[in-house]
Amino acid sequence: MLKAEGVAYHYPGGADVLSEVSFSASAGEVLALVGRNGAGKSTLLRLLNGLRKPTRGSIVVDGMNTTDTPVHLISRVIGTVFQAPEQQIFNATVHDEVMFGPRNLPISAEERDRRVHEALARTKLAEFAKHHPLDLDQARRRFVALASVLATGPSALLLDEPQRGLDARSRSLLETIIRQEQQAGRCIIIVCHDMEFVARLATRVIALSEGRLSADMAPLQFFTNPALTAAASVEAPDIVRLSQALLLPPSLTPAAFAEAWLADRQETSTQV
Amino acid sequence: MALIDIKNLTFGYGAKGPAVLKGLNLSIESGERLAILGGNGSGKTTLAHWIAGWLPRPAMEASQGEVLARGKAWPEWNALDRAATVQFVGQIPMQQLSGFAFTVYDEIVFGPGNLGLSADEIRTRADWAIDICNLRHLVYRDPFTLSGGEQQRLSIAAALVMNPKALVLDEPTGNFDPESRDNLLEQIKGLPRDLTIILFDMALKPALAVAERFVLLDDGGIVADGLPEEVIQHPAAIDMFGLPAVTEAALLIRESGKFPGKARLPLTFDQAVRLFGGVPAC
Repeated sequence: MLKAEGVAYHYPGGADVLSEVSFSASAGEVLALVGRNGAGKSTLLRLLNGLRKPTRGSIVVDGMNTTDTPVHLISRVIGTVFQAPEQQIFNATVHDEVMFGPRNLPISAEERDRRVHEALARTKLAEFAKHHPLDLDQARRRFVALASVLATGPSALLLDEPQRGLDARSRSLLETIIRQEQQAGRCIIIVCHDMEFVARLATRVIALSEGRLSADMAPLQFFTNPALTAAASVEAPDIVRLSQALLLPPSLTPAAFAEAWLADRQETSTQV
Repeated sequence: MALIDIKNLTFGYGAKGPAVLKGLNLSIESGERLAILGGNGSGKTTLAHWIAGWLPRPAMEASQGEVLARGKAWPEWNALDRAATVQFVGQIPMQQLSGFAFTVYDEIVFGPGNLGLSADEIRTRADWAIDICNLRHLVYRDPFTLSGGEQQRLSIAAALVMNPKALVLDEPTGNFDPESRDNLLEQIKGLPRDLTIILFDMALKPALAVAERFVLLDDGGIVADGLPEEVIQHPAAIDMFGLPAVTEAALLIRESGKFPGKARLPLTFDQAVRLFGGVPAC
């Protein structure tokens, strides 16, 4: 679905922000892209969606090489939700905002309406269709940006800190939508500082450290490797740290921890 | 006398706007460290503005109920006394820079320069605020060239230098990466004990780090008020924040009937290690 090979990038006149970045992502995967501020995460997103072109190496998305493919063609395949929804909202109503993408696709009017209707329903925005997007609270603005992307029906989704500023209700709606997209065979890449969120959703962690790929592995494997988490400046989720502090088998979720702790206690009492 | 006394406050924006705060009552004593928690659209920022006395006087007078600071309703205060009593630090650090100070130092002394203090007093206060917020190495920098975290520390220094009785913080770490967040929370925690701190947030971590009393705001009203471990188990709180993962694990273990003793539910990583590690492992 998506393949980066030996990718390097520098801003004009600057040093390399990214170098030798290679990875691939398949349909149905949820990749968490982690790393400290300034590690090159947002730059990598802008390379993947074709807004910037690699200085060296190549990125191929759904068979298209981003270097020589116009951005509007790439954007049919990859949808991006940026950190600040205000930066990608420019229509006067929520409905028009979500319709903007489909209107530029070669699909029938009925199909457009169906997609907009569905995207608004999934993001629980149907009752706000006639509101100005910027009159909505922070969480709903984020969902307007997400609905606009869903309505274009992309094969890959790039989400930059989508959980930030959302309360548990909104976060759980976001998680539901991400899981549905995953099951529908989309490839999802999430830039995320919230490791609890990563632990719940990601199938793989890609870590960037000083512009290079420092890890590409399963979340549990990553979180239990202190050298790798330190290089990416992330703190493993509390549950992983707790299971390690108690010398139990590493757990990602509260349920897994409870099971491991109870099993360990059982064993201890039998020995006594 | 309470530092802040909110009595039956009902308030909406504009004459026809829907009520954002609905018959709200809250009393805050001097020296308290309080977190007011609420989800998206619960009325947090509006309440924060009320506590800081930040609304225009006609708007305050048009509302029902009142907010008293040290026994006197906000509309009866003059701006300078109010600014020396409660200081507000908002979500977006850049919006709080005055815009006409060319150095961090000038930004910090701008507020007290309007209080009619002696130059010595201003310098002493500025030095104190600079050290507390760890800004010494940045005093000659242009405020607009600082990083978000540095700007937020500057906003807090510019608030502290007014020597207020209370500091209102509206999601001060919302836009921070975890490392900068933890650094700032450490600094907030280390502020003088007699300063009242009122933190508004929708994340539990900052609140657990700073506050001893939690107030839960939902749909413009207070639904829970008490100790952190009590309030976060309130159904509305679970709905808003979810439970900390370690608390969730503890609840699962309690369901199995194997919970160690009558111990309190752990809310933080350290509490969980103490609780679950206290049981002999081998």
